[in-house]
Amino acid sequence: MGNMKIKAKLKGDIVNVKVMAKHDMLTYDQAKKKGLDANFITHVSAKVGDKVVYDVSTSQFLSKNPMFKFKFKGAAKGDKVAITWVDLKGNTVTEEKKIK
Amino acid sequence: MDRRKFLNLSIVAAVALPVGLSAIDFRATKPDTWTAHTVADSIKALYGDIKPAEGGVTVKAPKVASNGGAIPVTVKSDIAAKSVALFQDANPESAVAVFTVGEGGIVDYMLKIKMKKSGKITAILEGIDGKFYIGSQSLEVALGGCEG
Repeated sequence: MGNMKIKAKLKGDIVNVKVMAKHDMLTYDQAKKKGLDANFITHVSAKVGDKVVYDVSTSQFLSKNPMFKFKFKGAAKGDKVAITWVDLKGNTVTEEKKIK
Repeated sequence: MDRRKFLNLSIVAAVALPVGLSAIDFRATKPDTWTAHTVADSIKALYGDIKPAEGGVTVKAPKVASNGGAIPVTVKSDIAAKSVALFQDANPESAVAVFTVGEGGIVDYMLKIKMKKSGKITAILEGIDGKFYIGSQSLEVALGGCEG
């Protein structure tokens, strides 16, 4: 837990981003069975500079090690896209990737 | 000799701020959405009493998902949107994700979700025109993904 894989590629004027976050995404049901606390990613956002290009509030029903794909305009090759996720316990992870 | 007068124009530059995305934490602003047990209740908690128009937004998912633990779902639309919400009716609670769409944002989101059993995935799109659109896709889940 605690890191992610990011791919960001510019195609024409659109940046395609693929993110895989490493997270168990334990639902309340699963956690109960395992005797653990539920914990899942509750928010994911992506920024280029100060501009937010992706923003989603999420529930426990994302898959384990959830994957996200999205597209946006207005960035160039070499710009950095920064992805941040927050989970129920308040852990925050941010990672950056250069757009190829 | 003409005296030239330089006018000192103080130009008030109207700085057009790019209307970026203001990140909204829907879990904090609409807490009831995430605990609602039916799709209808969840939508009501999020958007209020709306009558979404059928179409305009598509949900793509495999017809039969062999592994309910990771079902790729894609939401797509050409409508300029403010937000997009995703629900399903197979799990104990309905809400899956709520996206905030920025100015000029492209609604083409893929994410992987868990479903306990076969059911229907519903997407609601809130357009910048204030209208709502609905799209859905039913699928069969061979192996439930919430048993863990």
